[in-house]
Amino acid sequence: MICRLLKEDDNALSTATTIGAAGKSNRRNGSRKIYRIDTTDVANVALFLAIFVGLWQLVTVLELWPKTLFPSPAQVAISIGELIANNSLVIGIGTTLWRLAAGFAISIAVGGMVGLAMVKFQGFGKTMSSFAVGLLTFPSIAWVPFAILLIGFNNFGILFVVVMASVFSVMISTYSAVRNVPPIYIRASKNMGAHGFSLFRHVMIPAATPSLIIGIRQAWSFAWHALIGAEMLITTLYGLGHVLSIGREFNDMSQIIAVMITIFVIGLLFDRIIFLRLEEKVRSRWGLNQHSE
Amino acid sequence: MALIESPHSKILENSKNSSEIQGQQKQESLGFIPIVHVNDVYKSFDFKNNRNNNNDSNSNTTTYNLLSGEQQQQLLNSRSSMRASSSYEVLNGIDLKINEGEFVTIVGPSGCGKSTLLNIIAGLDRPDLGSVLIRGATASSNTMSTKRIMIFQEGALFPWLNVQDNVEFGLKIAKVPKEKRRQVADRYIEMVGLSKFAESFVYQLSGGMKQRVAIARALALEPEVLLMDEPFAALDVQTRDLLHEELVGIHKTTGKTILFVTHNINEAILLGDRVIVLSSVLKNIKKEFRIDIPRPRDPETPELYEIKKQILKEFEGDLQIAKRR
Repeated sequence: MICRLLKEDDNALSTATTIGAAGKSNRRNGSRKIYRIDTTDVANVALFLAIFVGLWQLVTVLELWPKTLFPSPAQVAISIGELIANNSLVIGIGTTLWRLAAGFAISIAVGGMVGLAMVKFQGFGKTMSSFAVGLLTFPSIAWVPFAILLIGFNNFGILFVVVMASVFSVMISTYSAVRNVPPIYIRASKNMGAHGFSLFRHVMIPAATPSLIIGIRQAWSFAWHALIGAEMLITTLYGLGHVLSIGREFNDMSQIIAVMITIFVIGLLFDRIIFLRLEEKVRSRWGLNQHSE
Repeated sequence: MALIESPHSKILENSKNSSEIQGQQKQESLGFIPIVHVNDVYKSFDFKNNRNNNNDSNSNTTTYNLLSGEQQQQLLNSRSSMRASSSYEVLNGIDLKINEGEFVTIVGPSGCGKSTLLNIIAGLDRPDLGSVLIRGATASSNTMSTKRIMIFQEGALFPWLNVQDNVEFGLKIAKVPKEKRRQVADRYIEMVGLSKFAESFVYQLSGGMKQRVAIARALALEPEVLLMDEPFAALDVQTRDLLHEELVGIHKTTGKTILFVTHNINEAILLGDRVIVLSSVLKNIKKEFRIDIPRPRDPETPELYEIKKQILKEFEGDLQIAKRR
């Protein structure tokens, strides 16, 4: 049963990706917009960055804080260069992303599975959803002491925190997305002979995909928050959060800011490249984008 | 139907065209089995508890015929007392036979139970009492088959699939091999004139095109009965006329049995071999009209105009009774 449910979850994901892939070949007029790089957009971003760096430079020139506490953009850039040169940034990013992928995958598998069980068994769903909502608002960093004592200063401790931070979001969004599938689709497909697993695989999951993607996107950001926090607190292991706390230990503000920028960029890239695109593809396929065209 | 002595059934007997009844009896005596036989179906909804009386009544349906007349009466009485409390009667002993290849339209004002009747025939809803027989065999929602395919007012196409995949949906569920699926879907997509749009997604289609896809999707399953629940109600007049023409063509080429529900009298008399008028007061069949005029028909024909007037009179009569209550 567990295997089967896991597989169903994979199906959900593969449905999402196939929708994406098919969307590419079938793209018509309006939906092309998403992938075209607009020159005015580039100019706007450049202008924004210039103003931001300019103000930053201005503050350092005014010397409101000592240079060691408030480094200039150039110092931070040098620090980034050093971190890249001694490989600590690349390894840090690699380890962190690996943990993120593992933790997030576990969250989707477990959360999706339990979410579907919640739909299937109504009593369980009702109880579990209020429990999960409670845990959804629970600050993920508060799991760290628990994880350290129970599991220890190791990768599994960090993974535990990441999973706890994101699994309930996946659970709740799966539950509500599948429950809110318009009944007309279910009636029509039942009339055409779908029932049990086929109803589930061919109707409920694809019909729930747009809301599922939103839920997964939110779960991803929860997982990311928790991961950096856990890496900073469970300090015996390498990772971006670890590089960040090393910066604090050595009072190296430019390293701290360098890592902060890295974390910001990774978050932005993930959101824009993976989740936003996925969402846009599904939305344009469903015809939900027309008001913005 | 004769089991229950109610004033309604008397009215029904009188209002039914006597030659029509004789015709049916003759057919039965010759061994004809109607493709759909709605056998004395009762249905009410419990609005107070916001559920319909589905689950508890299933056993009633099967055992009902085994009970003696007195017990049946008791069951009905207990039901009617329950009905009085919080539920609302939708169908009151509907009895209807549809023969193979017939194009039957059911017309009635909104709230007369015509969609409920269609849902029960489709197996999407269960009757409180009575049964639906398909070719003489009891059909229940448990043995959901693809013999009765419904076309909904909103089309109910799947937005995550393109036209081709929508039409192939039922075949995919039935595990038909891909090659074969494609072949069948292509044929019916062509029949409804949408070959150019096979790759389009649902949102890119107009209302009329959506209903054509819905028709192709239903036909692809090769159903014995096509159930249409006000399929063209949301369309503009021109598109509707065009789709009427196409539906008549499809009926002619495929010879499918079609049961078509509408609140539009014109639509009912233009399409149907037989027009069944449902009453919102009696919750039952009020009158039947057989129309032997070849299609496509002109609504201005004196005969059709006469039938239309009569149907309107029936509606008017209902309204009068409703007012008096």
